[in-house]
Amino acid sequence: MTPPLVTTSVQEEDTTEMPKWGMAVDLDACTGCGACVTACHAENNISTVGAEQAARGRAKHWIRVERYWEGSFPDVRLRFQPVMCQQCDSAPCEPVCPTYASHHTEDGLNAQVYNRCIGTRYCANACPYNTRFFDFFNPAWDKPLHLQLNPDVSLREVGVMEKCTFCVQRIRAGTIAAKADARELKDGDITTACVQTCPAHALVFGDLSDPDSRVSQMARAARGTALLGDLGTQPNVTYLQRQTP
Amino acid sequence: MSAIYGLYPDAAAAQAAVDGLRAAGVAGPDITVLTSFPMDGCRFFDDGSDDRVRRRMWTMAGGGGLTGLTAAFALSWVAETSWPLSVGGLPVFAWWPNLIIMFELTMLGAMLATVVTLVVGARLGRRVTLYDPEVSRGHILVGIERPDRDRIAALTRALAAPAGARLGGNAGA
Amino acid sequence: MTPARPPSHEQMTADLLRPLLRTTWRFFLLAAVCTAPVLAGLVAWATQAYYGFGVTGLGWPVYWGFYITSFVFWIGISHAGTLISAILRLVDAGWRRPVTRCAEAITAFSLIIGAMFPLIHLGRPWLAFWLAPYPSERMLWPNFRSPLVWDFFAINTYLTGSLLFLALPMIPDFATVRDNSTGVRRRIYGVLALGWRGSSAQWHRLETAMAIMAIAIVPVAVSVHTIVSFDFSMAPVPMWQSTIFGPYFVAGAIFSGIAGLIIAMALLRRFLHLEAYLLPLHFDNLGRLLLVMSLLWAYFVFNERLVTYYGNEPSDMAVFWRTQRLSFAPLYWTMVTCNFLVPLVLLGVRRFRTISGCVTASVAVVVGMWLERFLIIVPSLGHKFLPYSHGSYRPTPIEIVIAFSTFAAMALLYVLFTKLVPIISIWEMKAGATADTVRS
Repeated sequence: MTPPLVTTSVQEEDTTEMPKWGMAVDLDACTGCGACVTACHAENNISTVGAEQAARGRAKHWIRVERYWEGSFPDVRLRFQPVMCQQCDSAPCEPVCPTYASHHTEDGLNAQVYNRCIGTRYCANACPYNTRFFDFFNPAWDKPLHLQLNPDVSLREVGVMEKCTFCVQRIRAGTIAAKADARELKDGDITTACVQTCPAHALVFGDLSDPDSRVSQMARAARGTALLGDLGTQPNVTYLQRQTP
Repeated sequence: MSAIYGLYPDAAAAQAAVDGLRAAGVAGPDITVLTSFPMDGCRFFDDGSDDRVRRRMWTMAGGGGLTGLTAAFALSWVAETSWPLSVGGLPVFAWWPNLIIMFELTMLGAMLATVVTLVVGARLGRRVTLYDPEVSRGHILVGIERPDRDRIAALTRALAAPAGARLGGNAGA
Repeated sequence: MTPARPPSHEQMTADLLRPLLRTTWRFFLLAAVCTAPVLAGLVAWATQAYYGFGVTGLGWPVYWGFYITSFVFWIGISHAGTLISAILRLVDAGWRRPVTRCAEAITAFSLIIGAMFPLIHLGRPWLAFWLAPYPSERMLWPNFRSPLVWDFFAINTYLTGSLLFLALPMIPDFATVRDNSTGVRRRIYGVLALGWRGSSAQWHRLETAMAIMAIAIVPVAVSVHTIVSFDFSMAPVPMWQSTIFGPYFVAGAIFSGIAGLIIAMALLRRFLHLEAYLLPLHFDNLGRLLLVMSLLWAYFVFNERLVTYYGNEPSDMAVFWRTQRLSFAPLYWTMVTCNFLVPLVLLGVRRFRTISGCVTASVAVVVGMWLERFLIIVPSLGHKFLPYSHGSYRPTPIEIVIAFSTFAAMALLYVLFTKLVPIISIWEMKAGATADTVRS
């Protein structure tokens, strides 16, 4: 593992025990079905905005499946690439936020505190992956969908930024449950909604500080790359490049 | 009578009045000269106080700047260490960005100190004891506040001597 | 070009106080014409606050649009004044005297307007005070590493400094108004004049204070627009992350500021009949300055484009061609025409450098510089690294009304200011005239 660029007093505090959450995406396995997107919306109370507003760029997909066409007719191939917040270690969105709404947690998450956000939208501009979304209106659900909201996730009011949290509510719940039972967290104890739902097992979530976890093994794979890695953002999401033609 | 003064149409006459007062034994700082614009090149009297004032104002500005710098350093130190949050891999106390805050507050301190020095030094906002609205219509006023009772006659003579002089006085408060 | 006999001191006082002491129906008409768009802008803002940001044309991925363009534009215009007038004071340019106050007033008002835009643009403007460093109950301070917090400090310092820089030389003029008026007006200006008498000690202190302020305000002005440029160059966005942005923005700011000043001076000259004070000489000098800044601006643009072109970084080049040849090309070449070709012809050829020539060039520059900021912000945001996230931006009437209303707000503030304060510093004109007679 490469050492962090700058050692801060936060990181000096007993980080050896801290997990470092990460994800791996096997592009060979992704079928582009979009189940992860649906699961994410359901888990994280992401409001939908309707077709008209979505066309104006107000849709909020914390995870999205990017479609790219390769080749020329008739030899055309469709490629899929799920993109969510890359939880960068050197995140461009963090230092630009004036109110610390966007900051780094001890376990390597790129946190977004909705209540602290005043809506400058600077973080969204700084994010090279465009994985941050602005709430242009107060959230609303058609009845009876308002009854299916996840009680573990706060709703976001108009004027704040939101983004993929690696299902932080599941991470905290899993950690607390393990602590209550006085046991170590095992690989697979905690999983995010998108990973849980992926029928092709293209997405894998886990602790990168544990060298034996599945995500660590995949991150070390020869075909593992970071998305826009040359920007120096040090993402915690690894993409396993395609081998199939 | 708390003040006596003369109004003069031009700088030469005002200079003559000042010279007359000084010949009559009045110290330079006791003479008040009021004009409607700063008279460069007409030094009614020179006791070196101008340079002293300039030095003092620059020193005060520098002091204000230092105060601002100190405040900015303290502010950024307290702000960043009281709840040390990691952002973007930057250090908790980051010098480069903090230098910007320090620069701005240094300049703010210098500017505020300058204005405070001006307001205090130029006695702005205080009660005016010797003034005549004729000054802003172009006359130059030369006067003495709280003159010696026994010497009023001599001083009045000195004030009346230059051509075009108009005398005045007020009881003041 | 030699002026007719300069007006006497009595004439100066009378001419320059006339707008304050006599008010005709034309003033009320002008104020009403300016107030109407301002009210429309306030209604538009209230609409946005009530219905949410969805009423704007912003959306993923272009989250900054007209508001940030206007913010940078107005902060740029503010460099007219304080910076120009501070430099002219420092080099003791005699021709500055009738120009300084209207320049400093532009600075103060455009800064106030410019500083409004971050609030208008905020998702939750009612929480804007979280930018201020105050000890909150959780001891959570603002993030001093954010360029927006630098903006907060820089703009507040510059605004404070500019207001003081504008206000200090007004004190003796308030005394003049006090002595030349009666009744309520005399009492109000008596308070404003702070008991100014014009003693040698007061003049000396005022002039020393102005010298210190002038020296302090120049680096602050440079820092303000550098920090505004940092808002862009600190983010890894194609064509934003550029080391040239600091000086490029400062040059552009002074450029647009001079243009704004020339327009304001021409209007003052026409409406307040200041033909004897704002002479063709002043327009000629400012026109030359505008020409120099136009060349400097072109130099920076050439630099920016050449380095990007040779760097040939794919994401940069995508934005480069978008502005150069594709969808934003019409705006881009309009900008080049307005900011470079028009000033070059109208100000470079001596025969065209008349008052109307200078004003025409200035209007072109104001338009061009507004476009410049738009072209820095929108094409880059709509064309970041991942092709899937490319998008565009189209402003809604709400944004257009708000952006337009700020021009009316500027005019309104200026009209009210000329009604309350002598727009040309009376005492500085008198001192200048006396210095001229002494010299000749």
